[in-house]
Amino acid sequence: MAEGAKSSATGGGILAKIRGPRDFFGGLALIIVALLAFWASSNLPGQQGFAFGPGTGPRIFASVLLFIGLIIAGTGLIVKGPPLDTFAIRGPAYVMLAILIFAGTIRGIRLDLAGIPIRIPAFGMVFATFVSFMVSLFGSKEFRLVESLIAAVGMTIFCVVLFVYLLGLPFQLWPMFF
Amino acid sequence: MSDLLANLALGFSVAAAPMNIAFCLLGALVGTLVGVLPGIGTVATVAMLLPITFGLPPVGALIMLAGFYYGAQYGGSTTSILVNIPGEASSVVTCLDGHQMAKNGRAGAALSIAAIGSFFAGCVATVLVAALGAPLTSLALLFGPAEYFALMVLGLIFAVVLAKGSILKAVAMIILGLLLSMVGSDLETGAGRMTFDIAELSDGIGFANVAMGLFGFAEIIRNLEMSSESRDIINAKVSGLMPTRKDLIDSSGAIARGTVLGSILGILPGGGALVASFAAYTFEKRISKTPKMFGHGAIQGVAAPEAANNAAAQTSFIPLLTLGIPPNAVMALMVGAMTIHGIVPGPQVMVKQPELFWGMIASMWLGNLMLVIINLPLVGLWVSLLRVPYRLLFPSIIVFCCIGIFSINNAPTDVLIAAVFGLIGYWLVKHDFEPAPLVLAFVLGPLMEENLRRAMLIARGDATVFLTRPISGVLLAISLILLILAMLPMISKRRDEVFVE
Repeated sequence: MAEGAKSSATGGGILAKIRGPRDFFGGLALIIVALLAFWASSNLPGQQGFAFGPGTGPRIFASVLLFIGLIIAGTGLIVKGPPLDTFAIRGPAYVMLAILIFAGTIRGIRLDLAGIPIRIPAFGMVFATFVSFMVSLFGSKEFRLVESLIAAVGMTIFCVVLFVYLLGLPFQLWPMFF
Repeated sequence: MSDLLANLALGFSVAAAPMNIAFCLLGALVGTLVGVLPGIGTVATVAMLLPITFGLPPVGALIMLAGFYYGAQYGGSTTSILVNIPGEASSVVTCLDGHQMAKNGRAGAALSIAAIGSFFAGCVATVLVAALGAPLTSLALLFGPAEYFALMVLGLIFAVVLAKGSILKAVAMIILGLLLSMVGSDLETGAGRMTFDIAELSDGIGFANVAMGLFGFAEIIRNLEMSSESRDIINAKVSGLMPTRKDLIDSSGAIARGTVLGSILGILPGGGALVASFAAYTFEKRISKTPKMFGHGAIQGVAAPEAANNAAAQTSFIPLLTLGIPPNAVMALMVGAMTIHGIVPGPQVMVKQPELFWGMIASMWLGNLMLVIINLPLVGLWVSLLRVPYRLLFPSIIVFCCIGIFSINNAPTDVLIAAVFGLIGYWLVKHDFEPAPLVLAFVLGPLMEENLRRAMLIARGDATVFLTRPISGVLLAISLILLILAMLPMISKRRDEVFVE
């Protein structure tokens, strides 16, 4: 769903003729999602006699979504509407990075992303909490080192005490490499 | 009537057990604590705190969760009054007049009227839940798959009509939500649907992940765009917590009307606290003799929406407990919690587990009482919490959200899914798409599909069954009329007015 972000940079050509870009790209994304849903459910059997098959529901809703997406995008093309809002990069990037680090390190992860195996050992909760706290701090423009370090240590201790000792959730605290 | 009293007595005997009182108190307190933080709404609060209740006995867990819910609601209004950033969406309207009152040095009065209004609404709504519980449960017995399906359609249409912005975009969000809810194994055949052969998706996308992404992470990203100067905390010491006699007289009508509106809107699937507070505020403004005062510190503008959102928060338990249909995102999280404790929400809860049903209802009243008693003296604490700069607050929220999601299934991939939905939510908002209808549709999706398929199977593939069965026919007709009304140019113009304010 990144078409929206790019379009503000490429101003000329066909894009300049779009009168309501916010709606146009919104509708376009819906169309893409609908087509994706069609493709993803293409292997599912549909209607069988009286009964709905597993594929019936997805296909019905994907068709409706496609239809609405076309209307919204079409409206955006013709009717004058609001311009694209600017997308912040810094905030989302660091927040996402922090979440990724947390997810990747808390108990280790084994994924196959398009054939590329990803193996991260388990670093445990103390590491995951502290590091993702520190990383997300950079999402704000006002970063202060000492204050941040104190807050990160405090938050880590708080989370460990609350979740592991008080609530007894089975989290691994320290790094353990497999 | 005597039945009702006997049931309530049973409920209070459960709720007043020392452990349950402790859970209720803790829930309300922690809920308020998290709800006070700017930018965390009730959904994110409940989702984040869900793991805390895993180890408790079922009754205690549900009492505590309910406490989180109205605690968060109440904390949100405290933030709205003291800071100009609403703590959560349903407090947006409270912000308009509440913050103005605070600026005029009347923060204490605004806070106490909000508390009193909420408490009154909570009392009325509790009785309403108790009174409507039994008759609606027997109504549920008349409901077959076709009726359930029609009722959920009505709920989704409500969500569309009551969402802000374009109707078409709201419908698009509903459809997207339904589509997303179909990811995962098919209910009947077990075939993996739209899973892209990713093993983690074969169980479907967890609701808590979607909610946390759209309402937690996306909200944080958006808040980061605002500069810190736009936050405007009341610096003066909050004093004069007791409202004057005039305040009470001025706001009593507004509280009563807000309670009625909120109770009705809460019961309707697709309604809920957010809509209730908007509706109550608009209504007060319209009938007021001095509409110009609104937006400049009118006490009615605080009393009505606060009463309404609290009433709605309580009555939204009715469809969940009687029909098993979650009318909003928070109730969907409650379904999740109930399932973890082996309770299937629906009409059988009241019959088979009366202690749980009535205990929870009684605890709602107790929880509201506690909110009034504990929160007003604690205002100082909330103020100091609000003074923590956002640059330190938001990383804490992120970490807490991550731990919360991770702990539900001990699955790191859940955290990743939530992150993806955080980005999607940010994108949606930037293109004027509302996440709320999407989430409701996501919640209702599996239930709807199941009932649709069952109804079609029973009717031997004859789709007219939805129109020929009287209850479902009426429900669908109402849905259609609502949708047409909302599309009429005159109404849609007025609808815009309401939300622009």
